[in-house]
Amino acid sequence: MSAMSPAKKVFKDGLWTNTPIFVQVLGICSTLAVTNNLRNTLIMVLGVTFATAMGNLTLSLIKDFMPRKVRMIITVLIHSFYVIIIDILLRAYAPAISKQLGPYVGLIITNCILMGRAEAFAMSNKPWLSFLDGLANGLGYGWVLVSLALIREFFGFGSVLGFKVVGENFTPWTIMVMAPSAFFLVALALWAVNTYKAKAEAAKKGAK
Amino acid sequence: MKLKKESIGYVVVFTFVACAAFVVLLATANEATKNQVKANQSYASHYAVLKAFGLADIATSKADVEPKYTSLVKELPDPAPGMAAYSTVIDGAPFVAVKITNAGLWGPITAILAADPKAERVRGLEILDQQETPGLGGRIGEPWFSAQFSGEKVGTDGKIAVVQGSGKGDPDKENSSVDAVTGASRTSDFVRNLVANALATIQRIGGSL
Repeated sequence: MSAMSPAKKVFKDGLWTNTPIFVQVLGICSTLAVTNNLRNTLIMVLGVTFATAMGNLTLSLIKDFMPRKVRMIITVLIHSFYVIIIDILLRAYAPAISKQLGPYVGLIITNCILMGRAEAFAMSNKPWLSFLDGLANGLGYGWVLVSLALIREFFGFGSVLGFKVVGENFTPWTIMVMAPSAFFLVALALWAVNTYKAKAEAAKKGAK
Repeated sequence: MKLKKESIGYVVVFTFVACAAFVVLLATANEATKNQVKANQSYASHYAVLKAFGLADIATSKADVEPKYTSLVKELPDPAPGMAAYSTVIDGAPFVAVKITNAGLWGPITAILAADPKAERVRGLEILDQQETPGLGGRIGEPWFSAQFSGEKVGTDGKIAVVQGSGKGDPDKENSSVDAVTGASRTSDFVRNLVANALATIQRIGGSL
């Protein structure tokens, strides 16, 4: 463990040890909202990853000049800035996707992961490492969302990325399209992941 | 000299400068892409009008849309604020289309509906913009849904019913009814009203054509 470089540790934390959905339990709102469709999920993940990484980088760069009193306001300002930039770019260069995502892009601002990482990491770490931390957390959020979206789109629509993969006789599970199914799936996954982690921990202790 | 970071003057100046800097960047980005966004919107609208008239489909290439639109479609005076009207002639028969925005479940639904001037039979429906529940009401934006309206006979009450059906689309063009989206009764009601309003407007315009 001690030999791990800081960058490597940041990635391991973001992707597994301290992953946003399963351990920090942040970003659940967007998990419920976008994961019924893999394409929307991928765009959401890209948006969140970009905003978290760039937000962390910018905040870490200016943190030495920033009065503590206004740090929340400035954090929100910076995140809004990156999110609106994404929105502007999508509207200009990918109008079809922008139309599909509609209000979700704006909702990236309210994603708790952004604020969480800014407060927990970027405020006390160097810019490059903060950028990596944002990236890692975005990806940690991403792999969970993509797995959920795969399951939900498959059962809810019988398709993957919009391509039909099952026969005509398949009856879509309407519940999978609606938000409650994400609740069930996230809860089950949380249970599975945490049980696995607890077991791994116990095994490690036993070995010592 | 060391700046007093927590002094009121510094806090105000810092916040002001930070806000100004980011706003300027955003305004620049917005200004730089304004024309592109406008072009996208007008393209989407022209393409939808052509599709509602049945003059274009997904096979139509992007470059063909503008020339086709300018040569075939005539823009009529707006029938009401926020609406737009178009006319065209296909095989000698005139058709009228209106762009209409009506209430939906979460936000407005904007659609283009084309029909004959007497509004007796729908030519085509294109949903241009909607914020219905993704996966449920949002499916009104899918081709199978709007395709049901093409060639549908309008009922004597000037309406087309949106009712529970097989969920795969209603192929009967004479029964003045189409299949609703499963799990989206409210959205279906809004679509029915929107279509009825559009048909009434087309009838009004068609009478004076």
